[in-house]
Amino acid sequence: MPRTNPATWMLFATTASAAFITSAISPGAAAQGKSAAPVENGASQVRITLTADNGNSCALDHATAKAGPITFTVTNKTSTAITEVELMSNNRILGEKENLAPGLPSVGFTLALGGGTYQVYCPGAAQEMQSFTVVGKATAAPSRRIADILATGTKDYAGYVDGVVDAMLISVQRLKADIDTGDLERAKANYAKARPFYERIESDVGGFVLPGFKPTDNAGNLDYLIDMRASNLDDKVGWHGFHAIERELFQENKITHGTKALAAELEKNVAQLDRLVKTLSYKPEDLANGAAGLLEEVQRNKVTGEEEAFSHYDLGTLAGNVEGAEQAFAFLEPGLEKIDPDLARQVGAQFLNVKTLLDTYRDSSVPGGYKAYTVELKASDGPKLSKTVLALQEPLSKIAEKVAQAY
Amino acid sequence: MTNRDMWYLGPNNRLSRRGLLLGATAGTLGAAASAVAPAALAITADPQDTVDLSRQYDFYGTGGQAGIRTPPQRHVFYMAFDLTSGRRADLQVLLARWSGAIAQLMKGETIGEVEPPRDSAVGFDTGEALRLGPASLTVTVGIGPRVFSDAYGLADKRPPLMRALMPLPSDAFDPYYTGGDLSLQACADDPQVTYHAVRDLARIAKATGTAAVRWTVIGFGRASAGKGQSTPRNLLGFRDGTRNIREDAEFDRFVWISDGPDWQRHGSYQVVRKIKMNIENWDTHRVSDQNNVFGRHKVSGAPLTGTKESEQPDFQKMDADGTLVIPPTAHIRLAAHESNDGIRILRRSYNYTDGLSEVGLLDAGLLFISYQNDPAHFEALQARLGASDALNSYISHIGSAIFYIPPAPAEGSYIGEAFFT
Repeated sequence: MPRTNPATWMLFATTASAAFITSAISPGAAAQGKSAAPVENGASQVRITLTADNGNSCALDHATAKAGPITFTVTNKTSTAITEVELMSNNRILGEKENLAPGLPSVGFTLALGGGTYQVYCPGAAQEMQSFTVVGKATAAPSRRIADILATGTKDYAGYVDGVVDAMLISVQRLKADIDTGDLERAKANYAKARPFYERIESDVGGFVLPGFKPTDNAGNLDYLIDMRASNLDDKVGWHGFHAIERELFQENKITHGTKALAAELEKNVAQLDRLVKTLSYKPEDLANGAAGLLEEVQRNKVTGEEEAFSHYDLGTLAGNVEGAEQAFAFLEPGLEKIDPDLARQVGAQFLNVKTLLDTYRDSSVPGGYKAYTVELKASDGPKLSKTVLALQEPLSKIAEKVAQAY
Repeated sequence: MTNRDMWYLGPNNRLSRRGLLLGATAGTLGAAASAVAPAALAITADPQDTVDLSRQYDFYGTGGQAGIRTPPQRHVFYMAFDLTSGRRADLQVLLARWSGAIAQLMKGETIGEVEPPRDSAVGFDTGEALRLGPASLTVTVGIGPRVFSDAYGLADKRPPLMRALMPLPSDAFDPYYTGGDLSLQACADDPQVTYHAVRDLARIAKATGTAAVRWTVIGFGRASAGKGQSTPRNLLGFRDGTRNIREDAEFDRFVWISDGPDWQRHGSYQVVRKIKMNIENWDTHRVSDQNNVFGRHKVSGAPLTGTKESEQPDFQKMDADGTLVIPPTAHIRLAAHESNDGIRILRRSYNYTDGLSEVGLLDAGLLFISYQNDPAHFEALQARLGASDALNSYISHIGSAIFYIPPAPAEGSYIGEAFFT
């Protein structure tokens, strides 16, 4: 679906979170010890204790430590309102622990910190933000490295998107050639092959409005012109793109002059898209939000069987969405690994679950490589598909916030 | 009055018998309840049967979990889950996260940010219960038979009587409403409060990668009474649970587990049955025979041998023709402890509806929930009822599950912590 240019909304993101952090901070009030944290096992030891006292408190036993390795050990004694603790440096998360709850064993994380002022953030505490001072030589902040890793990932991801749209253009040209020569069977097979490309990247390219059109006019909306389904048609603009062709090939079961015109128009629009995506650059959270958007597509249009209503190639396009989401995650993973290894592990494991399930539907005799998503298959397997994807959506939806605060 | 109150209004804008009491001025609250936020006040026709949306129960404690002894609230959202992680630590984290979140929810508070200020963040709490008050919410957590296995290192923590229920006459299960590894019974006097609680707890299950939804039933009217409550009616129009367990001594004898290791004292076994009713058939059946099916008069609730609900049924009484006044197959006769070696169970059921069935009939019934210190007690009762109960022509047991209910955690602990130490 169309959305605003990623670059535009990112500008708001940075401004908003910076304002929030500055206003909420209140230096070191809850910290008890004025002396530097003791050093054990080669690392300064700081204990953070969460209690229900005074409207939920997040207490540090030492608010200062010597530069070098520092281990933060978090114990939730009685606070039901606080479930995570983060160590931050100027809006950037350097380390954190989630899933804190009363009764669980203490958990810890160790960071090598240079001299400077940091923040301990405990969402849900009466005082959410406290300052933490590291005394000594200022070393290169480790977060710089995370930012670099993430930047590399987003740059490489841009290359991935370009490659996908290049391949999409070639596959659409093949489809057009089949339609031009009137070869219905080949056109059906090449339709299946052309579909997954757009599904891998559609949440990145949904916002293009052609020159001279208003943002609300679907006649200039490239996403509408390429991928609109029967259920969301704008009567004023009519039907264009993949699914209009799908109806002709699979329901009308014939190729007409109209089909040829649709194919020519699709090729033109995809070529336009191919030029436009080369101008895009991405922030790390764009990758995370894009991946989340692709999984929303899975739940809204694929599991319901709405996407490929005539060809029943839904599982192939669903696999395209999942692959695109996984690629976006893969480019973020090295950075996320440093920020929140538990979340990275969990999302990786859930991607594996989804792919393992999808593998059970593979069928090389069907164009597109997956079984037809019939009414019967939807009835028997729809709930399982939906549930498995949902188990991935929930943890994956947390990534954007992590990476947005890590550079 | 706010718009929400209108939900409870009867015809002509009069408060119905099940009226609504909003606010904290009433001095008649139970000992375990405390009032928090004074609000608008409405007086009901029956002072015994009021709803106070500021009423709040404690999650932490030393006895059984809330939601068993608690006087039944008006609404339930029941959900069963499958574990999707084989990791013991994941189960531990989920039970602890659920416990902390339930403690928040029962106070009428959010479980985290609804509108995070950070642009890329998703909401922690979904927000639809903001300012609805605690509404007497209780969330009761159950643990299914499969969890007590080597896979989670919990084989030696299996409560001694925990097992799958044996097959019983009248079982007609739809696998879609059967079984589960974990369960949540959320009860409150505002249906949106129960919905929010289960929805957000299910999100935690998914977000931690530990459990997925298996089946669910949303109940809209209590069909059982606690101490001091008047007996409500099931969808067949009859009072249900007149002879339910109410007193401490009865709870100690029939509901709470009192032996075995410390960690199971004040635990209990929860049996859940989704019982579908053939509503239209019942409605076209003559009322005199409906009375015979139950063994009670429909309006008064009195046994057929008496005139008042509170009267003990006389199961021996014959009419002039020498036939039993309460028929041999009457529901109350077969369910009575006099017929079952003195066995009793706590019933804490709710009416439910799923809209229309596939063939266009009302799809509704009873979400039967019982608590007992031995699952065999339920089995003994249901074996008798399932074989002979005249009611069987109008109901079918389409769903079933059993869960162990650990005792309430102490503050600073979580439900089931003892399993992991």
